[in-house]
Amino acid sequence: MFNTIYIEEQVADHPRTLDICARFSQATQVLCEHYGEVFNPKSQNFRLQKRKPALILAHKHNRRVLETPAGYGIGGTDNYYFSHMLNCLYDCRYCFLQGMYRSAHYVLYVNYEDFGHDIDAILHRKGNQPCWFFSGYDCDSLVLEPVSAFMRHFLPFFAARPAAHIEIRTKSTQIRSLLQQSPIPNAVIAFSFTPAAMHASLEHRVPNIERRLEAMQKLQVAGWRLGLRFDPLIYQDDYRQQYTRLFEQVFSQLHSDRLHSVSLGPFRLPRTYFRNIVRLYPDEPLFAGSFAASGGMISYPEEVEHEMTGFCTRELLKHVPENVLFPCMLAA
Amino acid sequence: MLNIIVALPAEARPLLDHFRLRDKQHNTAFPIYRNTDMALIVAGPGKVAAAAATALLAGTGTSHTGAAWLNIGIAGHAHHAIGSGFIANRITDNATGTSWYPPQIHNLPIATETLHTVDRPEDDYPAAGLYEMEASGFFPVACRFSSSELVQCFKVVSDNRTQASTAVTAKLCTQLIAGKLADIEQLVNALSGMANEYAAWHAPHPDLEQLAARWHFTVSQQHQLAELARRWKVLTADQPLWLDQLQKTRSAAEVLQRLEQHLEALTASPA
Repeated sequence: MFNTIYIEEQVADHPRTLDICARFSQATQVLCEHYGEVFNPKSQNFRLQKRKPALILAHKHNRRVLETPAGYGIGGTDNYYFSHMLNCLYDCRYCFLQGMYRSAHYVLYVNYEDFGHDIDAILHRKGNQPCWFFSGYDCDSLVLEPVSAFMRHFLPFFAARPAAHIEIRTKSTQIRSLLQQSPIPNAVIAFSFTPAAMHASLEHRVPNIERRLEAMQKLQVAGWRLGLRFDPLIYQDDYRQQYTRLFEQVFSQLHSDRLHSVSLGPFRLPRTYFRNIVRLYPDEPLFAGSFAASGGMISYPEEVEHEMTGFCTRELLKHVPENVLFPCMLAA
Repeated sequence: MLNIIVALPAEARPLLDHFRLRDKQHNTAFPIYRNTDMALIVAGPGKVAAAAATALLAGTGTSHTGAAWLNIGIAGHAHHAIGSGFIANRITDNATGTSWYPPQIHNLPIATETLHTVDRPEDDYPAAGLYEMEASGFFPVACRFSSSELVQCFKVVSDNRTQASTAVTAKLCTQLIAGKLADIEQLVNALSGMANEYAAWHAPHPDLEQLAARWHFTVSQQHQLAELARRWKVLTADQPLWLDQLQKTRSAAEVLQRLEQHLEALTASPA
């Protein structure tokens, strides 16, 4: 899987580093002083590197657990996000990561325990009141589980902290680690979907809708709380038919009365990210349409965005009650 | 386009023959040889010379963003066999401690190794890796003109603890490079292929230049035109940029307006 593994000298002897290197014993190991030497240089092309990303093993020193933007949440009032990893195995053309990062290499922070300490500090500060922690901002939470063992570490962690709720957002079908243990009540496994035609053209390497729904069914039978994330909403001329079909497909295969939450997110990117992505993929039809710029963000024109979220909200309310629907959850 | 930087004429000789590089360019500080797709410059030893030669080649007008760059040369290693070849996965300038990491995105079965760029020939090889004298001058300069995935170093071991660098002759140097032409050709082909794809991704609409020449566009308008041409290319599946229909427009601003209106009509809004 990885031809090259870059290793920060600080974590060269970390148990997770040694495990991963043993797993990929054929990979060339290259030491570096700080992962930024490899990940941050300007003269890199995300699209070229996406052909063969390397793995970078590093230590996250600070800013490990951050507050989410205002308006982001699924019912909680104290919302945070954390990323044990940067970049994603998948290659979704609408993804902000390709505009935000110069490098497509995967950075895995191996010091999970420090993330845990920061979460504990927040819980202590909040007097053990319920807090939400969102995983899957800078990466897919599950797709590299066989390598990262992220769930293997954090599920017991959150199981021991009932006040700490975790959303595990994914497009992956790597659910083995979840099925191997009892579900924990403060975890929501949230799967993202776009309609089939959009998935085929925009979500490269992502398992198809049927496989993701199959994974969700297994999790639901096992008792895990599930979420659905229709995010971002992508405009095409026949989006109404596409989203109607998608919702019908999804809700025909899941017990909608047992869903934790359903959310929508409009397609929005910071202007600089959008510009970077267009430079990478100038021929991408998604970026040839009409967009509006406002407040440093690029989005569909207001009337289009309003119409799409309104339509999708009305359609979703045919399947789920209002109290589990969170329309217009701000995209990251 | 692929640009090769070597330090020594003896390193250049087998490459000139193999890739049929001719047309030695006169009146430059460094000899430059070319064919239609490739240029080779002989820099002389040392990282400063390598940096200067790289910058000169970039400035000769035939290079462009997205050209591939390859530094080829000999290097010493404590243990590797004489004649073994390696692509650099890390380049460290020993004088400053600065390191660079050429991304390895090709699928070539060629070994990689750390490079140490030193100011004088190294005979002790104190740290693991190859020792040479050009890469830390070449790599960061080449990265100013292209993306780092397209900038690589290939070194052939010429000396080790059993055969010192003092034994390296011009004839041996030529033989060592010649002995690795198969690997070099693979690397050249891989880099050239990626560079060609990169150039194709960024190719502007074929009519853009003509359009830009017919009316006077300010710098800002040129950017707007380029963006409209990009969208036009995608939304019309590369149709001509409507040149005949624009004949009667009187100004660049009107051209932009008409193109934008036509594009808006192509991108439907919900009813």
